[in-house]
Amino acid sequence: MSEFLLDVREIGISFGGLKACQQLTLQVPARGLHGLIGPNGAGKTTAFNLITGVYQTQTGSVSLDGVHVHHLAPHQIAKAGMSRTFQNIRLFGDLSVLDNVRLACHLRGTHTLIGTLFRTPMFVAQERAIRERALKMLDVFDLADLADEQARSLPYGNQRRLEICRALATEPKVLLLDEPAAGMNPSEKVALAATIRQIRDRFNLAILLIEHDMGLVMDICEHITVLDHGTPIAAGAPREVQNNPKVQEAYLGEPGAVL
Amino acid sequence: MSALTDLIPAHRPSLAQSLFAGVVVPSLCAIGVGTLMQFGVGPVLGDYWTSVGVQVGIAVMLAVSLNIVNGFTGQFSIGHAGFFAIGAYIGAGVSYYGALLIWNDASAMAHGAPLVWNNSKSWLFGAGEWLMIGGAILGACVAAAFGYIVGLPSLRLRGDYLAIVTLGFGEIVRVLLQQTRPQVFDGAELREMSAGELVIPPLGGATGFSSIPKYANLWWVWLFVAVVVFFAYRVKVSSTGRALLSIREDEIAARAMGVNITKYKVRAFVLAAALAGIAGALYAHSGNVLQPRDAGFQRSFDCIIFVVLGGLGSISGAALAAVALSIMTEALRGPEPILENWIALLILTAVISIVAAILRAVGNRGWRITLLMAVTPLSILLLGLASKFFTDATGINLADYRMVVYALLLIVVMLVRPNGLFGLTEIWEYFGPERAKKPPTTPPTASQAAAAAPTEGSRP
Amino acid sequence: MADFLQILITAIAVGSLYALIALGYTMVYGILKFINFAHSDIFVLGAWTSLTASVCVITWLKLDTQQPPLWLAPVVLLCAMVVCGGVAFLVERLAYKPLRKSARLNVLITAIGVSLLLQNVGQLPGFTAAEKDGRSLATVPFGPSPSRMPSLLPDTSLISVPFPSGDPTIPAASVQVNLVDVFIFVSAMVLMFGLQHLVYRTKLGAAMRAVSFNTETASLMGVPVDRVMSFTFVTGAVLAAAAGFLYALKYPGLNQPAHEIWVLLGLKAFVAAVVGGIGNVRGAVLGGFLIALIEFMGMYLFSKYLDPLMGTNMGTNLRDVYVFSVLIVVLLVKPSGLLGTPVREKV
Repeated sequence: MSEFLLDVREIGISFGGLKACQQLTLQVPARGLHGLIGPNGAGKTTAFNLITGVYQTQTGSVSLDGVHVHHLAPHQIAKAGMSRTFQNIRLFGDLSVLDNVRLACHLRGTHTLIGTLFRTPMFVAQERAIRERALKMLDVFDLADLADEQARSLPYGNQRRLEICRALATEPKVLLLDEPAAGMNPSEKVALAATIRQIRDRFNLAILLIEHDMGLVMDICEHITVLDHGTPIAAGAPREVQNNPKVQEAYLGEPGAVL
Repeated sequence: MSALTDLIPAHRPSLAQSLFAGVVVPSLCAIGVGTLMQFGVGPVLGDYWTSVGVQVGIAVMLAVSLNIVNGFTGQFSIGHAGFFAIGAYIGAGVSYYGALLIWNDASAMAHGAPLVWNNSKSWLFGAGEWLMIGGAILGACVAAAFGYIVGLPSLRLRGDYLAIVTLGFGEIVRVLLQQTRPQVFDGAELREMSAGELVIPPLGGATGFSSIPKYANLWWVWLFVAVVVFFAYRVKVSSTGRALLSIREDEIAARAMGVNITKYKVRAFVLAAALAGIAGALYAHSGNVLQPRDAGFQRSFDCIIFVVLGGLGSISGAALAAVALSIMTEALRGPEPILENWIALLILTAVISIVAAILRAVGNRGWRITLLMAVTPLSILLLGLASKFFTDATGINLADYRMVVYALLLIVVMLVRPNGLFGLTEIWEYFGPERAKKPPTTPPTASQAAAAAPTEGSRP
Repeated sequence: MADFLQILITAIAVGSLYALIALGYTMVYGILKFINFAHSDIFVLGAWTSLTASVCVITWLKLDTQQPPLWLAPVVLLCAMVVCGGVAFLVERLAYKPLRKSARLNVLITAIGVSLLLQNVGQLPGFTAAEKDGRSLATVPFGPSPSRMPSLLPDTSLISVPFPSGDPTIPAASVQVNLVDVFIFVSAMVLMFGLQHLVYRTKLGAAMRAVSFNTETASLMGVPVDRVMSFTFVTGAVLAAAAGFLYALKYPGLNQPAHEIWVLLGLKAFVAAVVGGIGNVRGAVLGGFLIALIEFMGMYLFSKYLDPLMGTNMGTNLRDVYVFSVLIVVLLVKPSGLLGTPVREKV
C-alpha cells in the first residue's frame, strides 16, 4: 500500500522509434498539488494519456489509492477516481452545458435499458439526483445561468471552466489538468490559480497539472516534475527545480541563465 | 459536495407513481394514437390512403430506430434493412405457420378481429392478431440478438469500416433468405416435415413469402409507432442517451468521463435492431409479399435518407422526413389518388398556414417551422400534378427518378446542413418558451473570456 | 482436379479485376481518408461505357459484329477511361472538395449519395434515345435494361491441357486457358506495375505519398494538394474504368447500373482493399487475389463436399457470404488489414 494517492512508477511508451515518454515516476499525495512541466514536445500530454489509460503504458505501473490501474481501460480508470481535462478543449459541443455535466455524473450510477425504457423508480430517482447534482456543480462554477446553452456556443473562458466542472462531476480522487491556463491573460491566470487551490480544498482531491506558465506553476504547485525529450530530468520543490541547471538548459539552451 | 449515490434515495418516487407515469400514461397515449388513426383518420382517408398510412407508419418506425444508431451514437449503419427483414420473416413465420398448425388455415378472415374483418366472431382481437404480436416480439428479440452480433465489431472498427460490415450483414441476410425452402401451404404437409428438413426453414426462398394474414391495420401500426417513438425519446433524454450522444461527439472525452463506449455502442445497435424487427413484423402483416430483397441496401438507403434529411439525432425530424418522403414517393408513383384529393390537400395547407400566422402574431415562436410544414401538402400536390403532366406528355414514369432525386437531396443536405434539417432539435422545441438568452454568435473576444474566467475565485 | 484448376484460373482473372478496383479504393482512402462509396459505380460506368462505345463504333463504321478488328479493344478501353476519369473529376470537384474539412460521417453520406446518383442516372430511360428513320444510329445502349457486350476478342483458348479421368466411362476433362483470362491478367498486371512505378518512382508519386502522410505539411512544402488529390481520384477512376472494360469482356451480359450485382462486386473489391490493408497499394493487390481465391474456392469446396452432404444446392449462391465472413474475421483479428499499419488517434 503506497502512501501516495497517485503513484506512477517508471511508465513509458514509444511510438515506433520515438520514445515519447520514458521512465516517468511521480507521486502525488492526498490533497497534493503537483506540477508537470517541460518544453514543447517534452511528452507531458503523452504522460497524461498514459496515466489516464488513453495509451497503454509499455513499462512500469500506475496505482490510484493503492490499486493498480495501468492495465484498465480509460472509463474504468475514470471510475476508479481519476478525471482529466484536455489541452485542446474536448467538450460535447452539440450538447447543452447541463448535459455535459450530467454526462459526467453518469459513471456513479447504474443505467439499464429496461429502466430507461420503462422509467423504473430507480431510474427516475437517479435521473433526478443527476440533475440536482449537475445543477449544483454548475452553480459552483457560476455556469448555472448558461445551463441550457449549447456547449459549443460558450466563450472560451467558460468552456475551460465547464471542462473542469465536468471533470469534477465524475467525483474524482485525482484531477489531471492539461494546460488550464492556455490562452489566458495574466489577470485570468491569477484567478485561475485561486480557483485551482479552491477546487483542491473544496473537493478534497489531489491535482496533477501540466502548465507552460512558470509563474502559475511555481505559485501553486508543491512539487514539480520536469520532462524533457520524454524523460524526467528533475523533480522537487519549485525552488529546487528552478535552480536546477539541467532544467535551465532544457528551457533556455544553456546553463546558468535565469528563469 | 454530497456524492451522487447519496442523493438518489431522496428522489425515489413510489412504485405506483412511476408505474403510472412510466407505463400507464404512454400505453394509453399509444392506444389513443392507434384509435385516432383507425377510427378518426382512416375513414376519412379511404382505402388507398389507409394502405399508404400503414406503409408510412412502418417507414417512421424504421427512421426513428435507425436514428438511435446513426443519429444519437454517430455510428454509421447501412444494414438496417437486415434487421427489418429478420423481424419480418420471423413475424411472418410465426403467424403464418402458427395459424397453419393450430387452425389449418392462415387467412386473416378466420382469426382476425372486427377491426380487420367485420364478420369475425371475436369481439376485440382475434387469436391470429395475438399470434402476430407474439411473432413481432420474437422477431424483435432475434433481430436484437443479431444487433448484438453486428454491434460487437463496431467496438473495434471506425465509422467507415463499420458501414461496410453492416452493409455486408444486410447482404448476407438477403443471400441466406434466398436459400430458404419453398413455402408450405398445407398444415398436414408441414407436420410431416422432419426436423432435418426444417433446418433450412420453408420461408419461400427467392420467390418470396406470401399469403401472410393481413392483420396490420392503422390501429396496430400506429400504436407501435407511438411505442417506438416513446422508447426512442426516453433513450434520448436519459443517461443512456447522453452517453450515446457523447460517443458521437467525442469518443476520447466520453471515455475519459467514464463512458463504457463498447457497452453503449452495442446497446444502441441492439435497441435499434429490436425496433426495426418490430417494424418488419408489422410490414409482413400489411399485405405484402416478403422478398429477400427486403433485406437489401435499397431499403437501408431509404432509412438513411430519412435520418440524414430529418436530422441526425432528431426523432421528430426523422419521423417527419419519413412521412413526407413516403408520401412523395406515392405522389410520383401514381398521381391520380393525390389529384383526386386536391381539395383536402389545399385545405390542409391553408389550415397549417393559418396556424403559422397565429403563432407569428401571438408568440413569434415556431411559426417558421409550421410554415415549412404547410409547404409539405402543397408540394405533394404539385408533385402529383407535375408527375401527371410529365407522364402524359412523355410516357415516362417519374417514380423512376425517385432515387435520383433522393441522391441529389442527400448530397445537397450534406453540403448545406451537415446535421440534417433539424439536427439534434426536436420539432416541438421550436414552440417552447423562449430560452433565457441567446449565446453570443461572434467568436469570443479576449475581454469576454477575461470577464467570464475569473469569477470562480470570488465564490465562497 | 481439372475442375479445380479451371476454377483457379477464373479466380486469378477475377482476382485481377478485384485488385484493379481495390487500388482505386485504397488510393482514395490513403489520400482523402474516406471510403469512396461511388468508386464501384465508376467501375459500372466503365463497363457500360465500354459497351456503349463498342456498339456505337461497330454500327457507325459498319464493322463485323461477330469478329470486330483487334484495334477496337484498345479504342474502347481508352474511351471508357476518358469518360470515367472525367466523371470522377467532376464528382471530386463538386461533391467531395467542399467537404474536405467536414466530419467523416458527412463525407461518407455524401459518397453514398454520389453512388446512388450515378447508379440511378445511369439507369434512366432517357439514355436510350429513340430510333430515327429506322436507323439504329442514335440508339445509345445505356440504361434500364440489361444488354450484351459485343465480343471484342476472339473466343479462343490458348492452352488446353487434357486430364484423363482414369475411369474409361467418364470422358477426359481438360483445363482451358482462354484468351480473355490471359488478356485480363496481363492488362491488370501492366496497369498495376504502372501504378507502382507512378507511386514509388516519380515526383508525382512522391507528392501523393507526402499528401497521404500529412496533408498540411505537404502543402507547406509546396505540394499542390488540391491538384494531387484530384489526380489521385482520377487515377483510381481510370483503373476502375479498365476493370469495368475487362469485366465486360469476361462477362458480356451487363445488368442495369443499379442492379445489386454491381454493388456486390464493388463491395467485394472494397473488402479486398480492407483485407489487404486500406491505404496500402500492395495490400490492395494481395487482397484482390486473396478474396477472389476465397470466393471461388469456397464455391468449389462447398458445392463439391457440403452440398451433397446436406442435400442442398447452394454452394455457388453463398459466394458473397464467404467473402464477408473473411472480412469480418480479418477486421476482428487485425483491424488495419494484412499489410496495413494501425493508426493512432491524436489526443
